[in-house]
Amino acid sequence: MKLLLDSSSSLLFSLLLAQLPVFTSASPVPQRRPSDMDKLSNQTKNLMKLTQELLREHAFDSDVEPHRFRSLPEMSNRSANDLSNLELKPTLSQLHADLKLYEHHFEWLNKVSKKHHHPALPKLVEMIREMKSLITLLHRQMLRVEAPRLTPATPSLPPQLPYQFDVLQSSQELLQHFKLFCDWAYRAFLSLKPKVSAVQ
Amino acid sequence: MPGLLSSPVCLTVIWFLSWSLRPSRAQIQTDEVSGVQYGRLGSNVTLACGKSQTRIPVVWHLNQSSALPWHKVTSDGSLVLLHTDHSAQGNYSCYDSQGLLLHSVKLRLGHPPGLLSISCQVPNHTHVRCSWVDSVKTFLPAKYNATLRGNGHEWRPCIVDITRKHCDVYQPRYWVTIHTLRVTETNGLGSETTYGRFRLHELLKPDPPESVLVKELEGYSKRLYVSWNSPSSWPLHDAFPLVFHIRYRPQGSMYWSEIYSDVSPVIISDALAGHLHQVQVRARDEVNSDSQWSEWSPLLLVRPWEVHTTTEPTEEPLPDDDDYPETSTAKTHKPEAEDEGNLGLVILLVLFSVVILTTVLSLIFVVWVRQRRRDHLAIQELASMVKMKSMPI
Repeated sequence: MKLLLDSSSSLLFSLLLAQLPVFTSASPVPQRRPSDMDKLSNQTKNLMKLTQELLREHAFDSDVEPHRFRSLPEMSNRSANDLSNLELKPTLSQLHADLKLYEHHFEWLNKVSKKHHHPALPKLVEMIREMKSLITLLHRQMLRVEAPRLTPATPSLPPQLPYQFDVLQSSQELLQHFKLFCDWAYRAFLSLKPKVSAVQ
Repeated sequence: MPGLLSSPVCLTVIWFLSWSLRPSRAQIQTDEVSGVQYGRLGSNVTLACGKSQTRIPVVWHLNQSSALPWHKVTSDGSLVLLHTDHSAQGNYSCYDSQGLLLHSVKLRLGHPPGLLSISCQVPNHTHVRCSWVDSVKTFLPAKYNATLRGNGHEWRPCIVDITRKHCDVYQPRYWVTIHTLRVTETNGLGSETTYGRFRLHELLKPDPPESVLVKELEGYSKRLYVSWNSPSSWPLHDAFPLVFHIRYRPQGSMYWSEIYSDVSPVIISDALAGHLHQVQVRARDEVNSDSQWSEWSPLLLVRPWEVHTTTEPTEEPLPDDDDYPETSTAKTHKPEAEDEGNLGLVILLVLFSVVILTTVLSLIFVVWVRQRRRDHLAIQELASMVKMKSMPI
């Protein structure tokens, strides 16, 4: 009897304790769970915001035509019309390959920025973290829809950057490119959203 | 006789006579202008009397008049106009001593092209329009050739509207960091090429929202209904969302109130009862915060709903949102969002208090059970002690 009492009281107590987080986390108003495509577009927007902040905080007025990076994803062949005719799997695969390429470039920038003690370093680290998270999310989505993974192109990165000026110019060029990439990618995710629902 | 006059033979004769008797000067006027020569204003301009130099001396006329601007005639019969100004423009003809026309030329004076001042507008992601203004007034007709390219890529033609001095590119490579526009202006005195560099994503500026409608809501003296359409030049596709900025104020007030919304319509719920309000809407690309806001839509004036009765005014009852379905569309309207948040908080608090109450009651129950058990043990101990005492030693 004693054992029974002991165990029942502790069981009741643990049940209550277990219920507590459920109660507290439960939203009183039922909210729509964000879809995977929502997560992808939100994460892209977040990255774009970070990029814009970095560009604003470390404004660098350069009218020189950028030329340092030859292996960045090609954006000149993308037009607004393409966005209405995107195919789900090839687009997801291409975006994933593009992001991997950007990741390589930004990791390189992070490395050279460390050497030159660039003030944008903390935000750059945050950006790379967010980028990795987007890549993981995108990869998960690709697995779900069985989109093939493309072999990412080999980045051709500039050699040593001897001066702080070179680092600044390189970071501006990369960030400007990446901002436009995020703009396109975000719109691509918005366009693909109905297509994902149709597949799943 | 009238029959004879109207006969075809007679008509032919009359036409032939009238043609052959036309003044010879008229024939010269139509035939004499054989070419156009361009000259720089303020400089000396030489007009040659054709290629033949055998029949000198020659006589020069300007617009059939022998009065010429400041000039000299060279030994080979060429006319040199000195320090020309606009009055020297016209049709020049040179005649031999018998009055026979040797050569005629139209002179136009002006300046060679200078650099252009170029600006571009990007009303959406599929269209770029660039226009230009001359930095030098050339006074001469010009031709323009315009091309656009994204950095490091091929030049694409920009279709020129010569009268409006602008050119259009459709489906530009928008997602490229820098674009360069190259405009070459050519006139009779030369040509000049101007380059302009632009970031299209920073120039993106939608046209203002269209069909903006503001109206009162019957029964609500502090509410206004605002609806609009996206600009017709903006692509209607999920990939190109717009954000709208609505501003309103009572007429005469200096301060605007603002609402941001992704969708139309919105309900303004804090209008000043009985006052005329000014309302405007503008739009911006929702994705790219570096892009520009459109111009404001035309100012609209509206007064919230008023009770038109002669009876004593009564306290306005609080409107019930459920009775008015349209209010639910004002997603971004802050006061409504606050209401929703408050309701959620209340429910959360109630749930939390239920949980706390349950926990407290359970604890009390557990404590009570333990106390009972302890009492039970004490009684048992007491009983055993009594038992031990009663045992014979």
